[in-house]
Amino acid sequence: MKRTLALLSLSASTLFAQGTTPDMLLKPPKDSWPAYHGDYSGKRHSASAQITPENVGGLTLAWAYQTGANAQIKASPLVVDGKIYFSTPDNVYAVDARSGHQIWHYTYPPNKGFHIGSRGVSMYGEWLYFMTPDSHLICLNAKDGTVRWNVAVADAQRGYWTSMSPLIIRNHVLVGVSGDFDNLTGFLKSVDPETGATQWRWDSTPPSGTPGATTGGMTWMTGTYDPESDTVYWGTGNPTPVLNGDVRPGDNPDTCSIVAIDPNTGKKKWAFQASPHDTHDWDAVEIPVLVDAEFGGAPRKMLMQASRNGYFFVLDRLTGKNLLTTPFGPVNWAKGLDAKGQPIPNPAKEPKPDGRLIAPDEGGLTNYRSPSFDPKTGLFVVSAHPSYGVYFNKPADGAFGWAGADYGVWGKGVLEAIDYKTGKVKWTHELGSGGSGAGVLTTESGLTFTGDAQGSVLALRTSDGKTLWHAGMGQGMQSSPVTYELDGRQFVLSSGGGVMFAWALPEK
Amino acid sequence: MTRYFCVLAGAWVAATLAFGQAPQPPAAPAKPAQTFPAELVKAGENLFVQDCAFCHGRDTGGGESGPDLTRSKIVADDVDGNQIGPVVRNGRNAMPRFTVTDQQLAGLTAFIHTQKSIAESQKGGRKGVDPKDLATGDIEKGKQYFNGTGKCNSCHSPTGDLAGVAKRNEGLRLMQRLMYPRGAKVKVSVTTASGETVSGTRAYVDEFTIALRDAAGRYHSWPASKVKVQTDDPAEAHVDLLAKYTDDDIHNLMTYLMTLK
Repeated sequence: MKRTLALLSLSASTLFAQGTTPDMLLKPPKDSWPAYHGDYSGKRHSASAQITPENVGGLTLAWAYQTGANAQIKASPLVVDGKIYFSTPDNVYAVDARSGHQIWHYTYPPNKGFHIGSRGVSMYGEWLYFMTPDSHLICLNAKDGTVRWNVAVADAQRGYWTSMSPLIIRNHVLVGVSGDFDNLTGFLKSVDPETGATQWRWDSTPPSGTPGATTGGMTWMTGTYDPESDTVYWGTGNPTPVLNGDVRPGDNPDTCSIVAIDPNTGKKKWAFQASPHDTHDWDAVEIPVLVDAEFGGAPRKMLMQASRNGYFFVLDRLTGKNLLTTPFGPVNWAKGLDAKGQPIPNPAKEPKPDGRLIAPDEGGLTNYRSPSFDPKTGLFVVSAHPSYGVYFNKPADGAFGWAGADYGVWGKGVLEAIDYKTGKVKWTHELGSGGSGAGVLTTESGLTFTGDAQGSVLALRTSDGKTLWHAGMGQGMQSSPVTYELDGRQFVLSSGGGVMFAWALPEK
Repeated sequence: MTRYFCVLAGAWVAATLAFGQAPQPPAAPAKPAQTFPAELVKAGENLFVQDCAFCHGRDTGGGESGPDLTRSKIVADDVDGNQIGPVVRNGRNAMPRFTVTDQQLAGLTAFIHTQKSIAESQKGGRKGVDPKDLATGDIEKGKQYFNGTGKCNSCHSPTGDLAGVAKRNEGLRLMQRLMYPRGAKVKVSVTTASGETVSGTRAYVDEFTIALRDAAGRYHSWPASKVKVQTDDPAEAHVDLLAKYTDDDIHNLMTYLMTLK
């Protein structure tokens, strides 16, 4: 069977494109969005420039695909060979990128994992990789959605679940895990795309039960990759127990961190800790965006992250050395910065029996939704969430899992354009009460696409944040937009609830 | 004060067991504890783990971002899903809506009530936020803050709108509303291009649309860019204070407000 398939695809290659190749992932063509971030850098910036600030006012609906299901789309869709692939928990959809009609729909059997979201599938050749709520990695045939293999990447019985879109580098499928409700070790795993066999595993924290040590450091978002230095950059989650820091003294290394990892071996090169000894659930899994540009008068290979804890970090990505740390909204939990540019947590702001008012709230000043970097303006555009929460912890809450309680007090959504050289916010654009779950896409023509808190998809001018176009989708966008060109027409995809919308200029 | 408060908190727990958070004399006839078939509870648990547990915790005692359902007023007031059902099916605040069958809803309701009974049967050292945890401040200092630095008295009065506020809102709910009165009515006046002004309670707002409900209860909306809007949002002053409070300010204020019964 396998041999027949291989022969078949080989003969087809001369006539038709067939999935992704390593070269394509390094330099995605304009007719594709072949990986979670589009390219490896995490900039979520497209060279497509048919839709411009001048003509975007005429943007119209090309098609809408309705899953007809309860689940909101939280996936960043892939676009390869004129087909769109995206997921919701237990479901993968293949849709025609021209018309929006369904090609196939795969359903995973009912299971007891958390069905909190699915960030999307990944592609290697003609195979798709999909992570399930009960921590399995499924390899599907992109032609018809049939299962090639199914392996468990973590033990769902112990409290792990998965929702992320794997990062594919050559023949490595990098998968991360979630699991804050039990004291579990976080890890990143490299899996063989052909067999599902584990190639290596990097643990962010010691095994559960190690005396005095922390657990946690989950790896639940897709990292980025620098081909030149052959380095993977990955964000790690908060330590556990989450709100009780007393039982895990010290910095809790490699939790709430940005780590640089060798994709061949899983060996750590360096780590920068965004939140030492976190007690507020502020993962540092937000996209580590890779930018080559000038900083301090010299060309630099940088990594930028707008972190959930409220700080914007610029690092030298070859060494992990900090170039800039600055808050991008209200932050009240740190005493200052240490010599490494890491915030120093204020012990008085740890959760207490009578509550502590903390900025930002647990959802953070930003979160999983992707930011975008626009090279032309040097603006890092992020969907921020200025907010306050109240955090509680008392002895009765114990030392397992959440171990406390916290409640959002107030928050709103604001799109912020940060000048990476200074950390100063050049413009803001209000997104509404509560906040928005939408990520950001910028394009070469000077446009920024995102969504507001009430369910509108927006096109803004990147240079000043002015609204140029909008459309109500009926439900808030919980994913990050993508764009592609087909038949000479540029499409922008945005999801609203369980519907995928494709926007384009009117056909001529 | 502390002792007085503990007595009251004890009464509150008893009242919660029987009636939800509305304080009732202990002698009042008790609502019988709801019991459910084991299979229904199990089915409800399976669905709860999939769709609810991330936010509300696997044991319904609160998880990431969602409230502790064992202390929820909605759950306390619920009979056979009559309060829980609308929240599940319509959503609430940050919670999305879910399409569930009546049978699925019955399972969820059974599981949530069962977990509530289990949580409440735990004596002492109960997880979560107890009203008595929150009375750590100084009444006098709270009063001073109310009338001084906080300027709370420019909008509120302990003998006016806040008379009995601690009776209407207890524990965590009082603290949350002190910091930000979610859902407080916002008054708006909209003046159209033709010079007509319509006033009422804001019903919707985004970047593009403003809507209000007038005194007769009718909904009106306009394109935001074509009208002049005057907004009176009493909660804005609370947002301004969030950046100024010390934790002591909040606890003093909270302890003072707890005396307004």
